[in-house]
Amino acid sequence: MQNKVRLMVIYFIFIIILIYFSLPSLWLFLSVFNVHASPFIEVPRKPTLINFIKIFKDYNFSTYLFNSIFVSSITMILVTLVASLAGYSLSRWDSKYKNTLIYSILLLYAIPISATMIPIYSLMRVLHLRNNYLGLILIYTAGQLPFLIWIIQQFFDTIPSDIEEAAWIDGGSYLRTLFSIVMPIAKPGVAVIAVLSFRAAWSESVLVIVLIDSQNLQTIPRAFFEAVKTMGGSAIEYQYEIVATMGLFFLIPLMIIFLIMNKYFVRGGMLGGAIK
Amino acid sequence: MKRSHCFFWGILPAAVLIALFFITPAIWGVYTSLTNMALVGKAAKHLQFIGFQNYVRLFRDSAFFTSIINSMWYVVGGAIIGQFLLGLGLALFLEYTESNKIKGGNIVYGFVMLAWITPALVSGFEWGAMYDFYYGTLNNILKLFSLSKINWLGEVPMLSVIIANIWQGTAFTMLVLNSALKTIPFELYESAKIDGSSRWQSIRYITLPLIKNIAIVDLISITIATFGAFLMIMAITSGGPGMKTTTLSLYAYRSAFENYRIGYGCSISMILMIINLVFGLTYLKFLKKLS
Repeated sequence: MQNKVRLMVIYFIFIIILIYFSLPSLWLFLSVFNVHASPFIEVPRKPTLINFIKIFKDYNFSTYLFNSIFVSSITMILVTLVASLAGYSLSRWDSKYKNTLIYSILLLYAIPISATMIPIYSLMRVLHLRNNYLGLILIYTAGQLPFLIWIIQQFFDTIPSDIEEAAWIDGGSYLRTLFSIVMPIAKPGVAVIAVLSFRAAWSESVLVIVLIDSQNLQTIPRAFFEAVKTMGGSAIEYQYEIVATMGLFFLIPLMIIFLIMNKYFVRGGMLGGAIK
Repeated sequence: MKRSHCFFWGILPAAVLIALFFITPAIWGVYTSLTNMALVGKAAKHLQFIGFQNYVRLFRDSAFFTSIINSMWYVVGGAIIGQFLLGLGLALFLEYTESNKIKGGNIVYGFVMLAWITPALVSGFEWGAMYDFYYGTLNNILKLFSLSKINWLGEVPMLSVIIANIWQGTAFTMLVLNSALKTIPFELYESAKIDGSSRWQSIRYITLPLIKNIAIVDLISITIATFGAFLMIMAITSGGPGMKTTTLSLYAYRSAFENYRIGYGCSISMILMIINLVFGLTYLKFLKKLS
C-alpha cells in the first residue's frame, strides 16, 4: 500500500515536470502542421504540409538552409583541424608554463559573446569584413577554439605517447605521426569536437544578426530572427505556423546531433562544458 | 627540427586565430569605448577620441543601473535559485527512479534536454506564444480551471522571462549533478542505511557534501551563461515593457544596435567583460580544486 502511494506521488511529479518542459516544444511541433496556428496548443484538425512548401517557395528558405550548412561545415572543418593540432601539441608539451597556458585559454571561454559583440561589430566594420562569410567563420572559429582545445587536449592526454615516439625515431615527421598514428586512435575525441563546433556554429545567432545584413548571405538564425520580428503585430496577423516551421528546421539538426552525442553527455564527459 | 619546435608550430595556428579574432576585438573594444563612435547623427561623421566620457555618462545613466538590477534578478531567480534547485532536484529524482527501476525517467530526461538544445530565439518564440494574453496556452489552461487570466508580459514580465530561462537552462545542472551523483559509491548509502539514517539524512550528510565542489563549478557556469544571454528575452519581450526586462547584456545590445551608439555600447561591453573575467577566475579556482 505504501509502495503504491509512493509510486503515485512519483508519477504526479513526473507529470508536472513533463508538462512544464514539453508544452512549448509540443506547441511548436503541432503548429507546423496547422494551416493557421494560434498561440494556443492544439492538435491540427486537418494536418497539412503546406507550411513546408511555403517557406521554401515564398520565403526563400533553401538559400538560408544552404548558407547555414555552408558556414557551419567550414567552421567545423577549420575548428577541428586547428584545435586537434593545438590540443595534441599542448598535450605532449612538457613545460612548466603548460598549465598556466591552459588556464588562460579557459579564462577566455568565460567571456560571453554579449561582451564582445559590439567590439567585433566595430572592428569588422572598420576592416570591411561585415556581410562577409570569411569574417563570420574566422570569428566563430576563434570563439570555439578555447573550449574545444581544452576538450581535445584531455583526449590526447589519455593516449600513451610510446607509440608515437617509436614512429618519431623511425624518422616520421610531426604531422605524419599526428595524422597517421595519433588521430585514428583519438577518433572519438575528434568526432566530439567536430560535432560540438558544428552545433555551435549552427545555433549561434548574435554575431550573425550583428554582422550580416545582406539578404543573400542570411543564415537560418538570421532569417528566423527577422521572421520573429516582422511577422509580429497582433496575434491574429502573426503567422505562427510559418515562423514555427522555420524554427523546426533550426532545431532538427540540433536534435539529430544531440541523439548522436547523447552517450557523451550521459557519461558526464562534458562536465564544465557548454557554458554558453 | 627539434620536437619542441614542432609543438610550437602546432599551437601557432590556434594562437594566431585566437589573438586576431578573439583578443584583438576585446582590445579594440577598449579603444572604441573611449570614442564617440556612432552610426547616426553628428558623431557618425566625426569620430573623436573622448577619453572616459562614456564611462562618466554610464555612471549617471539610470537605465544602466536598472539593467544591472534586472540582470541580478534574472541571474538569482533564473540560474541560482531556479535552474540550480530544479536541476539538483531532477538529478536526485532521476537517480532515485533509476535505482528503483521506476519507468518514465527517460521521457522526462528527453524533454528537459530538448528544451536545452532549442536555440534561444526559438525558445523565446515558443514562450512568447505561451504567454500570449488572449490566445496563449497558459491563460487557456487557467481558464480551464476557471481562474482569471494573467497579463504575463505586462504585469509580471521579469517572472515570465525567468520561468522561460529556467525551462531552457535546467538541463545543464541536471546533467552535471547527475553525473556527479553517479561517482558516489553505493556502499556509502548502504552503510548509512544500516546505521539507521533516513533518506533525507543521507542526502544531507552524504550526497550534498560530496558534490559540493562540482555544484559550485556548475553554479558559476550557469551564472556566466545566464548573465551573458539576452536573445531569449529579446524574442519574448524585447526588454520591455519599458526597461523592465532589459538586462545588462540586452542594454549593451540596445545601446549599440537600436540607438546606434557604438562607443557607448562598447563601454557597457567592457563592464560586462570585467564582471565575466571575475566570474571566470572564480570558476578556474574551483575547477583546479576538482582536478
